[in-house]
Amino acid sequence: MTTATPHGARGAGEIPSDDPRVQLDEALGVFEPVPPYPPRTEREAEFYTLGDGEMFINMGPQHPSTHGVLRIVLKIDGENVVDLDPVLGYLHRGVEKLCENADYHHSIAYLDPLEYISSLFCEWPGVMAFEKLLDVEVPRRAEYLRVLSSELNRILSHSLFMGWMALDLGGLTPILWSFIERDEIAEMLAALTGQRLLFNYFRIGGVNGDLNHEFLSRLGDWMSRATTQIENNLGLLNENEIFVRRMRGLGTMDQATALRMCMTGPNIRATGIPLDFRRAHPYSVFPELDFDIPTRDEGDCLARYLVRIDEIKQSLRIIDQCLHQMPDGPIMAKLPRLLRPRPGRAYAAVEGPRGQYAAYVISDGTDQPFRMRIHDPSFIHLQAVGTLMPGHLIADAMAVMASLDPIMGGVDK
Amino acid sequence: MKKGGGAGLGTGPDDATAIASDAPGNKPSALTIRQTAVAAPIVVTNTLWQSTDPNAYQGNLEPEVTHLREVEASGIARRDDARWSGALEVIPTKADYVLDLIRANSLWPLLSGLACCAMEMMSSATSRNDMDRWGMFPFRASPRQADVLIVAGTLTTKMAGPLVRLWEQMPEPKWCVAMGDCTCSGGRYKRSYATVEGIDRVMPVDVYVPGCPPRPEGLIYGMMKLQQIVKDRRGHWPDRAVGPTVPENV
Amino acid sequence: MDPALKRRLASRFGERLTAPIHQRHDETEIRIGAGDVPDVCRTLHDEPEFAFLTLADLAGVDTGTTMQVVYHLWSETSPDWLRVVADGLSRDDPRLPSVTFLWKGAEWMEREAYDMFGITFEGNRDLRRIYMPPDYQSFPLRKDFFLPDDAARSPGGGVRHMEQVHTPRAARPATTIRKAPA
Repeated sequence: MTTATPHGARGAGEIPSDDPRVQLDEALGVFEPVPPYPPRTEREAEFYTLGDGEMFINMGPQHPSTHGVLRIVLKIDGENVVDLDPVLGYLHRGVEKLCENADYHHSIAYLDPLEYISSLFCEWPGVMAFEKLLDVEVPRRAEYLRVLSSELNRILSHSLFMGWMALDLGGLTPILWSFIERDEIAEMLAALTGQRLLFNYFRIGGVNGDLNHEFLSRLGDWMSRATTQIENNLGLLNENEIFVRRMRGLGTMDQATALRMCMTGPNIRATGIPLDFRRAHPYSVFPELDFDIPTRDEGDCLARYLVRIDEIKQSLRIIDQCLHQMPDGPIMAKLPRLLRPRPGRAYAAVEGPRGQYAAYVISDGTDQPFRMRIHDPSFIHLQAVGTLMPGHLIADAMAVMASLDPIMGGVDK
Repeated sequence: MKKGGGAGLGTGPDDATAIASDAPGNKPSALTIRQTAVAAPIVVTNTLWQSTDPNAYQGNLEPEVTHLREVEASGIARRDDARWSGALEVIPTKADYVLDLIRANSLWPLLSGLACCAMEMMSSATSRNDMDRWGMFPFRASPRQADVLIVAGTLTTKMAGPLVRLWEQMPEPKWCVAMGDCTCSGGRYKRSYATVEGIDRVMPVDVYVPGCPPRPEGLIYGMMKLQQIVKDRRGHWPDRAVGPTVPENV
Repeated sequence: MDPALKRRLASRFGERLTAPIHQRHDETEIRIGAGDVPDVCRTLHDEPEFAFLTLADLAGVDTGTTMQVVYHLWSETSPDWLRVVADGLSRDDPRLPSVTFLWKGAEWMEREAYDMFGITFEGNRDLRRIYMPPDYQSFPLRKDFFLPDDAARSPGGGVRHMEQVHTPRAARPATTIRKAPA
């Protein structure tokens, strides 16, 4: 009677089966984190073989780390992470297929919720690719408005990163402070675009709305105290010994690995490679704007954090220049409503807060894109957790993932 | 009795062809697409590799419940475990009234932010729009400790299984708030192959908060409506049913 | 438009290109056959005159008649994006060598191309589905996979369950969860 039952098997006699509330099925044992099918690939077989003293822990699709629905199966030895297998797809909405069945104009609305925090950076490459196919020239005022709103979006995204970074390390205050920042910028952008989150602001050939009084007054208020406010917020973290000592030397990536893992954005700039597509492959009006590219050498979590903080300061510079240099003119090019670009292919990439956002559009001459391929940086960076996490404690593993700043909407498309 | 369709096409729910297009045995007869054999999924037959535990991988059986179709078909979601009203169902007493007041004013949500609406949910929980004023600050990470499931974000077919499991793990009394267009009706992803058009297909919903995403004030309004529902003892409990509440022929 | 890049590509890969080098705006496109992918990518990656160290994107394309895999590369030596199109994969069994030996970050991009199109990348150690559940049978981004409300336009219109109106309770005969053998 008291023989040890194997893991997952439960005899029918242990639980009273006449209770109508209890409907057990013998095969449904304890929830197993491993997949209930034999491994299909080399890597799966390698991962799902347990060594001595190792076990699987499932960080399921719902977990408190607010990156979204990501499931990671961790293979741990005590508290150390030995290996991990991220399982994606819990937010896959089929955006590429939906774009193929929608107009060019409608596709822009599908691109927004990919990386819902940096929506404008998701719309921008799609819109740029359509403009390349149509040979449309965007008016300069529209370009400046695009840069202005997207740099505000970048600051919003980096403030949230700061909050989540601290939240994953256990600090509950900075997330509240960064949401204050984020709400202010969101209200600003709501005055400009009409929406707090999924802006749907860019159009083929320009933008949707011009500067208005409410936006400018909110922007002016905010800019006048932005620098000191950001310094205060950062003082909470940058001078915090626990924060710095935990993040220093954690998840170090060197330049060769970063290039092999196809990283872009702050993650690769933290390793020392100054790759920023606003300078490397200039688009829009960035050649006329003066800003630096912050780079660090260490390649650890602290470096990735500090690069993003420095980028906030550079974004403030860019916003300042945009406001001073804003030209007059139309905000949208004249285009017919029914767009039929000639058959062709176009690729457009922008530098967003997480890395390179790109769109590859194939047109077949009809009013619907033939293929709309969206390239998202979070998808690429999440592969790096497999390289960086092993060897650390579970708590540090979460910090590593937070420092790569993935957003699951973009990862899963 | 065969209805319609000269070639015996699937015309109704009783027809044998009424199975999902991705089911292994589905071969709709009228499909006139040229039969191209697509690349089959890579299947590594398990001859070289063995688990140390003979009960692992269910003895090489196929997965049981990994897709929404099986969740729905198995009827798990229709179970009604332990109705919360119990013996006091008929005449609510003062004690019940106080209990309802207590529950309404300390609804603890479960952290179930799936996508963009999660951002607005977090924003409604933080300083500027503070849900803590109504007692909803602690977003519990574990479903065992939560009262309200605020589903914020698109529900995909892959996530539907875990979400239903979360819902079932929540002890009664529990309520569900569908936040955002994607959870109310599928929203902008209504045509997609991988989303569930509205979470009321898999779980009973008490409050729908439309918007894409709804403003934090909108979510707070929805939560206040939920408080009214709790206090009035309305809601889904006595007759909870799974499935869209839209009638036929609509 | 970088004519120097076009000259270098033509002189290095001249006989392997299956179509003339196409340049438009800031993109240069070359087309190669599926078997040439590892050699061409290695050359582009290793040679200092090219130095395309950054793989920006890896995409699968279904043109209706063939399948293609499109690589976008970036280098400091040229102001253009380089697009390498590996053309001519059959729609029945698309196979292609993997580039994970050069860029480990291509592993998941290839998994996604497999999941969405069915393109098998030989040499990818982890080729399984990434977005759809692991027991999913179709490949969604192929041109013969129709969204439910396009059903009327597809040849087998209205046949599949999703394309019909059902009441939810009367939908299907209830199936039981499979029990483990005793």
